[in-house]
Amino acid sequence: MDRSRCKSCGARSLTRDDVSGILVCSECGCVAELDDFQAHLGGISGPQGTFVRVGTSGTGTVLNYREKKVFEAQKVIDDFLLRLGLSGSRSEDVRDMVCRVTEDEFGQGEWFPVLIGACACVVMRREGQSLPIAEAASVIGCDGHELGKMVARVVDFLELRGEFPVYDVAVAFERAVRSFSGFSRLPRDKVETMRKQGMFLIQCAVKWFLTTGRRPLPVVAAVLVLVAKLNQIELEISDVSRELHAAVATSRRRYKELLEALVEVSRALPWGKEVTVKNVVKNAPLVIQYMEMKSMEERGAKKKDSRAGQVDLGDVVSECLRKDVYDFDVAYLESESLYLDAKDKRDDHRGLDADRLDRIEISHECLALAYSKFLEERASLKCIGENANARGRRQTSFDFHASKDWWMGKSSLSKRLMLKEILEKDVGLDAMPPSFINSCIAYERRRQKIDAAKQRINRIMHPSASGPIDVCDSQTSSSAHGKKKRKRSQAIDVDWEDFIIEALLLHQVKEEEIEKGHYNTLLDLHVFNSGIM
Amino acid sequence: MADQALEGSQPVDLSKHPSGIVPTLQNIVSTVNLDCKLDLKAIALQARNAEYNPKRFAAVIMRIREPKTTALIFASGKMVCTGAKSEQQSKLAARKYARIIQKLGFPAKFKDFKIQNIVGSCDVKFPIRLEGLAYSHGAFSSYEPELFPGLIYRMKQPKIVLLIFVSGKIVLTGAKVRDETYTAFENIYPVLTEFRKIQQ
Repeated sequence: MDRSRCKSCGARSLTRDDVSGILVCSECGCVAELDDFQAHLGGISGPQGTFVRVGTSGTGTVLNYREKKVFEAQKVIDDFLLRLGLSGSRSEDVRDMVCRVTEDEFGQGEWFPVLIGACACVVMRREGQSLPIAEAASVIGCDGHELGKMVARVVDFLELRGEFPVYDVAVAFERAVRSFSGFSRLPRDKVETMRKQGMFLIQCAVKWFLTTGRRPLPVVAAVLVLVAKLNQIELEISDVSRELHAAVATSRRRYKELLEALVEVSRALPWGKEVTVKNVVKNAPLVIQYMEMKSMEERGAKKKDSRAGQVDLGDVVSECLRKDVYDFDVAYLESESLYLDAKDKRDDHRGLDADRLDRIEISHECLALAYSKFLEERASLKCIGENANARGRRQTSFDFHASKDWWMGKSSLSKRLMLKEILEKDVGLDAMPPSFINSCIAYERRRQKIDAAKQRINRIMHPSASGPIDVCDSQTSSSAHGKKKRKRSQAIDVDWEDFIIEALLLHQVKEEEIEKGHYNTLLDLHVFNSGIM
Repeated sequence: MADQALEGSQPVDLSKHPSGIVPTLQNIVSTVNLDCKLDLKAIALQARNAEYNPKRFAAVIMRIREPKTTALIFASGKMVCTGAKSEQQSKLAARKYARIIQKLGFPAKFKDFKIQNIVGSCDVKFPIRLEGLAYSHGAFSSYEPELFPGLIYRMKQPKIVLLIFVSGKIVLTGAKVRDETYTAFENIYPVLTEFRKIQQ
C-alpha cells in the first residue's frame, strides 16, 4: 500500500498541518496515523514520509527547540544584565560564563536566572568590583542563600577557588556611595569627599573588627549615614538600608557600634571623658581628624622617638581649636565650658588622668601650650559672639558648615588599601571583635559561678572548716532544714546553671571544660553516663 | 572509656595535642542495619517515644533519654542514630533502639554499625582575622560574609571541614574517627595563630 495516500479516501493529498505538525488529508480531512512511518531514504528521488521524532511535539524539531531555547535564554540574560546595571564588556563576560557553565546549552526554567545572577556576581568580583548578593537576589527574585549557593557552585565548577578575590567591604561602600539615590543631586566633588571619608571610616571599621564575620551591607549603610551626617545631609538609616538591601535593625546596631568605637578613640583627646555616644557625632570631625593624623604617623617611629606622640596630639588639639577652622558659636562654647577653663583643667588632668595621659605619651606642657593658644583665640571669639548676640542671632547647635575643612583626606586610609596595610596603620584604637569580647565575658561569668559553686560545695562538705558564718551561710543552714525557702532564694541567687556546675564539679569534670559552657555535652559524658562499659 | 577520661579529669596529653586544646565532641552520627523490613506505622503506634508523619518524612523518629539521642528508623530496616556525645554512647544508643524494635516483634539484628560523622568544637581564645586567612589560604577556604559569618575551611588531609569564626571558636566536622578531628585541629592551629589578633 502506498503510504502517501490517505487511508480513508485514497487521495494523494496528505498535507502537513502547520500547527500540530501531523499529516492531514486535504480532501477528506482525515488524520493520518503515526504508524504511517516511512524511512526517509534521502535524496530528491527518495520517498516522502512522516518524520517521527521522539521527545518533541508539534512543529518543533530538535534544531528548532535548541535554537529557541538559546534565543530565549539570551533574552533573559539581556534583561537581567540590564536590570543589574552591567555594561558592555562585563555583560559579554557574564554571557561567556553562562555559556561555559551550561556547555553552550544555556537553559530554561527557574534556575536559569539564578545562574545568571551568580555569574554576574562572580564576574564583578573577579574584576575587583562589587555586586552584593542581596542586591542581585532581589533583582532576580530569589533567596540570597540560593544565589550564594549558585555562586559557590560556579566558582567550584570553573575552578576559580584559588584566584577568587575575598569579599571587600570597601568596594561595596564605593559602589553604594556612587549609586546611592540620595547623593545623585549633590556636586561630584562633594560625593568624592564623602567617598574618601567613608572609605577612611570603613577601613577603620575593618581594623576594629566591625566587619569581620558580619554582613557587610549594614556596615556600609551605617558608614554612609554617618558620613552624610558629617556633611550636613540628613539621611534616615531605614531608607539607606532599604536601598542597600540591608536589614534596618542590623544597620542601626552597626551605626551604634561605629559611634561607640569613635567614642573609644576620642578618649585620647583632652576632653575625651565627656564624649558619649550621644554627642560623638558633634565631636566626630575632631575625632576623625585625630585618627587621620594618627594614621599618617609611622607606627615604628613612636617607639624610636617617644616625642612623636606628643607632637601628634599637640598638633591635633591646636589644629582642632584653630579659630578660622571652627567658627565656634559662643553659646556652644559656654555650654562646653570644660574646654575653656584651660588652667584648671590642666591641673585636673595632672591629677585625675595622669596615667591615661602617660599611656598616650602626651606631655602636659604640650597640652597646656595648645590650650593657652586656644584661650587667646577664645577671647576674640567671645567678642564676636557678644556682637552676634547683640544682633539677636543665636545659634544653639554646632555648625558643621563652618568646619568644612576638618577633613584633610591626606591619610592613605582614605584610599583602598590591602588588609595588611590597614592593620599596620594606627588610628588610635585597636579594638577586639565584639563576639570575642562577649565570649570573654561569658567565660569570666562562668568562672565566677564555678568558684561560687566550689565554695558552696566546700561549705557543705567541711562545715567545721569553713570560716566565720556570714549572713549567707546562716541562710543556707536554715534552709537545710527546709525552712524559709523564699528567703533563701532571695539571699543566695542560685539558678539552674549553678546546679549544673555543682553536679559537674561533683563528677570531677575539669574546670576548664566547665568554663567552656558545653553543659549538655558534659552532662551526657560525665553525669548521665551509666551503662557505658 | 580511656578516651573519655582524657576529655574529662585527666590533664591534656601534649604529645597528642601540642596546642594544649582538645576539641570537645558535640555530636556523633552512626548508622546500623537492623536487617529486617519494618512496619513503620506499627512501630509508631506501639512505641511511646516515636513519631511518624509519612507526609513529612519517610522514617520513624524515635528518641531515648539515656544516652540522649534521636534515631531515624526506615522501613528498609536501616537506622541512623544522632546526638550522642561519644562513639560508645552512639553504639549503646543504637543497641537500645534495636532492642526496642525487637521488643515490638521484629526480628531485628545489629549489622554493620558504623560511625558516619563526628562533630567537634573548641575555642582557641584569640580573635582571628578571617579576611587574612581567606586571602592566604584561598584554595581551601571560602569566606563569604554576605552568606555566613564563619570561614569554611576544607582541609584535604584529613578530609575535614572546619568552620572558623572571628571570636576564635572552631567547629570541626566530617570525621569518621575522633583522631581525624584532633589531627585537623592540630593542623589548623598554627595557621590560626598566624592570623590571630594580638591582644593589647
